[in-house]
Amino acid sequence: MLTIADIRVSFGGFRALSGVSMTAAPGSILGIVGPNGSGKSTLINVVSGIQLPDSGTVRLDDRLVPLGRPDRIAAHGIARSFQVSRLARRLTVLQNMMVSARGNAGERLFDLFLRPAAVAAGEQGILTRAMEILRRLDLAHKANDYAGGLSGGQQKLLSLGMVLMSDPRVLLLDEPAAGVNPVLIEREVAFLKSLRAEGRIILLIEHNMEMIADLCDRVYVLDAGEVIAEGTPEAIRRDEQVMRSYLGQPA
Amino acid sequence: MIDFIIYSTTMISIWAVLGLSLNLQFGLTGLVNFGQVMPFAVGAYGAAFAATQGLPVWLGVVIGIVLAPLFGVLVILPARRLTQDYWALITLGAGELFRLTMENVPVIAGGIEGASVHRLGDRTLAMILALALLLAVLLIARRIAEGPLGRLLRVLREDETLAATLGRNPVRFQILVTVVSWTMAGAAGVLYAHVTGYVSPSSFMVIETFVIWTAVVLGGPGSNLGVILGTILVELTSVSTRFIAQWTDLPSDLIANLRLASFGLVLVLVFLYRPQGLIPEARKLYRVDDR
Repeated sequence: MLTIADIRVSFGGFRALSGVSMTAAPGSILGIVGPNGSGKSTLINVVSGIQLPDSGTVRLDDRLVPLGRPDRIAAHGIARSFQVSRLARRLTVLQNMMVSARGNAGERLFDLFLRPAAVAAGEQGILTRAMEILRRLDLAHKANDYAGGLSGGQQKLLSLGMVLMSDPRVLLLDEPAAGVNPVLIEREVAFLKSLRAEGRIILLIEHNMEMIADLCDRVYVLDAGEVIAEGTPEAIRRDEQVMRSYLGQPA
Repeated sequence: MIDFIIYSTTMISIWAVLGLSLNLQFGLTGLVNFGQVMPFAVGAYGAAFAATQGLPVWLGVVIGIVLAPLFGVLVILPARRLTQDYWALITLGAGELFRLTMENVPVIAGGIEGASVHRLGDRTLAMILALALLLAVLLIARRIAEGPLGRLLRVLREDETLAATLGRNPVRFQILVTVVSWTMAGAAGVLYAHVTGYVSPSSFMVIETFVIWTAVVLGGPGSNLGVILGTILVELTSVSTRFIAQWTDLPSDLIANLRLASFGLVLVLVFLYRPQGLIPEARKLYRVDDR
């Protein structure tokens, strides 16, 4: 169970989040929608440790998540993608994937120099897993290309692949379908459903309402840093206030 | 002539070690270190301190090689909360601080006068030691650069925030790299002291860091072989300008300044027209079944 409680963030006088709370059970997908600037990405930044909140807590199975420490939060099994994809552009697609696996013995000097066989075996395992995921994301043919040379949509897919390499319990995905072509979006949706079936928790920021309706168990609507509505995708669609704030028109 | 070749090979090897050590920090990890002369100086002063105190040579070697990375950690720790832009300033300042301390505290190693160190009389032996050090450092640098650790360091170079969200503590790896890099540079400093037989503050000016940078940038940041090529070119230029001073009637200090100016020009031109250097960092290719 992921519990986000009363998160407040302000930048100077601007209140980006004023007391946002939400919970997600294992094997569920939460949709986070709202107009630009409503605080969606800020919320994900807080949960992933990039942004230290003024107050509030995040718990995963009753364990406090160390806010403000992205490296330690990742160790709790919380992984994220970014709205503007963050990749090592001068490394290949495969290198980006492989570096995203955690606990690689070859990153320790001792093992690197004194246990070369174990390091090589570990690398082979990571390579195999990376290629499996790349095939599912239709990126296998780009494995040895520089990540910086991918199209925007392909970079989004690679980011999702990198998130999966860490075998996370919680996935925070910031617009994973933006710029991805429709055929691949379908594949992504199927992929996310299979991840849910494995008992993972997914927080999904997305403007594609069809995708939200298709995927999400619950939807939270943010506006000006506050949750103004929550419920099933159908209920949210019927909610007039939501439609006004988000779509700028009555339903 | 043979003496000259032996001397040049020795010096190029020592400077190539410095180049490789800076490459680990800058080329691989993206740390803008403008104080790479500092661990070199610490190594040399370890030897000089042992000589002035009448300690055995091996103890000077140990002091130099142990203190160099220790100083690196001391320099980094206050910088860990600052962004990378400040790295350049902090490392530059630390290098000068160390040099000025040596200059003004004569009890350590002779102050501004410098100190004599046991000089390796056998120049061939000196060259073999320098080549052996270079080979050892190259093997270590290659193992790091081409393995999982190098991959992670390059991610740090490209995007520190990404590395953190992938579960790595950037500062931990920056310290690790600095310790390895400064140990290498410290060892080069110890050897340099015993090759020249004399250690003085004037050997460790900021300008030396600038020469190491020229070699790394010219050769190819991130590429170990490129850095060695860059060092060879830069050091051969250095040596040959001395001949130019002999052949022409120009004063030698003018030639020395022109040499530095030409390095500056090389830096600017390489940054503008070939930022990847003469031998660019190779792309790591995996043999994969891409179906």
